[in-house]
Amino acid sequence: MIVNAVGFQTLVQREMVRTFSIINQVIWPPVIQTLLYVFIFGFGLGSRINSVNGVSYAQFLIPGLIMLQLIDQTYSESSSSVFQGRFMNSIQELLIAPLSAIEIVLGYVVAGVVRAIFIALLITALGAALVHAYPTNWGLYVLTIVLVAVLFSSLGIIFGLLAEKFDHIAVLTTFFITPLVFVGGVFTSLQLLPPLLQKVSLVNPMFYMIDVFRNSYIGIGDVSLWLSLTIVTLLAVSAFSVALGMTAAGYKLRT
Amino acid sequence: MNGAVPALRIDRLVKRYGDFTAVDGISFDVAEGEFFGLLGPNGAGKTTTINAIVGLAHITGGAISLFGYDTVRDWRAARRQVGLAPQEYNFDRYLNIRDVLIFQAGYYGIRGKAVERRADMLLERFDLASKAKLVYTKLSGGMKRRLTLARALIHEPRLVILDEPTAGVDVELRLELWSMLRELNTKGTTIILTTHYLEEAEELCDRIGIIQTGKLVALETTQKLIGDGSLQDVFLELTRR
Repeated sequence: MIVNAVGFQTLVQREMVRTFSIINQVIWPPVIQTLLYVFIFGFGLGSRINSVNGVSYAQFLIPGLIMLQLIDQTYSESSSSVFQGRFMNSIQELLIAPLSAIEIVLGYVVAGVVRAIFIALLITALGAALVHAYPTNWGLYVLTIVLVAVLFSSLGIIFGLLAEKFDHIAVLTTFFITPLVFVGGVFTSLQLLPPLLQKVSLVNPMFYMIDVFRNSYIGIGDVSLWLSLTIVTLLAVSAFSVALGMTAAGYKLRT
Repeated sequence: MNGAVPALRIDRLVKRYGDFTAVDGISFDVAEGEFFGLLGPNGAGKTTTINAIVGLAHITGGAISLFGYDTVRDWRAARRQVGLAPQEYNFDRYLNIRDVLIFQAGYYGIRGKAVERRADMLLERFDLASKAKLVYTKLSGGMKRRLTLARALIHEPRLVILDEPTAGVDVELRLELWSMLRELNTKGTTIILTTHYLEEAEELCDRIGIIQTGKLVALETTQKLIGDGSLQDVFLELTRR
């Protein structure tokens, strides 16, 4: 599958160089925002809530906040890197090299996964220090991060290719990702919602990502773990396949 | 041409964009070690041809091979043979210029101390060593032009394609680049040059092909093409619409 391993690793390394050269856009905002959410919602409002699913509200909040930041950062970094490469034509450095479509797509996606794990670990450490929230199932914790990062890195590639201007990249974030994540269970358990909203939540894909990730912390979820994992896996595989197909076809890359 | 495998073989290349035919069945070979000029007015199909050679454009019809490697079937091997110095400055803005070279080599599957030494050698050769830790946006136009050439050479290609390498540079730098290109060619690298400066093609190229509206309208040694006149007269005569 990967023939030019050095080329693939170089692309991953390049993406990491990019990440750390814009650290104030990529790494610190999720940490600062999480701190604010924990202080305002966790400590402020949370002090009025006894417990949710057997843990304090602040502890309940942490896995949702990690997913919130992870989804946002993974998508925006991957989409802006691809779009900027197209816009500045620097992506031609990859296109003229002996790199296959799968090597290019995997390069962006693996970099997205590494970035996601890094951000998640930072926020996890914050959660542990501030509210004593720890993952109890590290395997599920890592698996969920990987699947979600693959999904949103792939979506980033897709929209980085589709976009004609930077503004187009924001369409998915503004109208879909942010609203769906916010109503997908970051701040509340499904059981606390009215029956109608509970049913609506079940068609929100973000709900399954947050639910399965929260499961890695508190050991229980609102729906079956396997259902959530299956849905997240299917979405990740589908998005990766579309990104790969577009790159292999040279969509907006090769004339 | 002798019987050896040519550096570049273009065989009835066709490239269409919808109803528009940008390249219309052109065929020519470039021998190994040759300095070849590909000329034509704006929109004639030069850049499309170059893009097809390096894999930036899908081929509608025909075939291209580089040192015997088909650019579609044996694309990995074919791409390793060629280095492109595009007209525009499309460097990675997040890397310093030394890393621009090292990362470019990495994309070609090469890394290690040898690459670092080659990057340093190229930076030295192109008088960029003192700027190694800067990003390309901090360089002057002439330096960027030299960096374009250095990047094209980092993976030691056997064929280098230069798309308007002296566009927008002053006379002094142009002469300096000419000297660098001659030296490169003398050491055995095959060069394909596109340029709007006809005196540049006349000065540097062993052979010239002229494209007009996607068709090859001339393919001759520079000497034969010019004859007793000038390249400008021949060019204008052949490309008059």
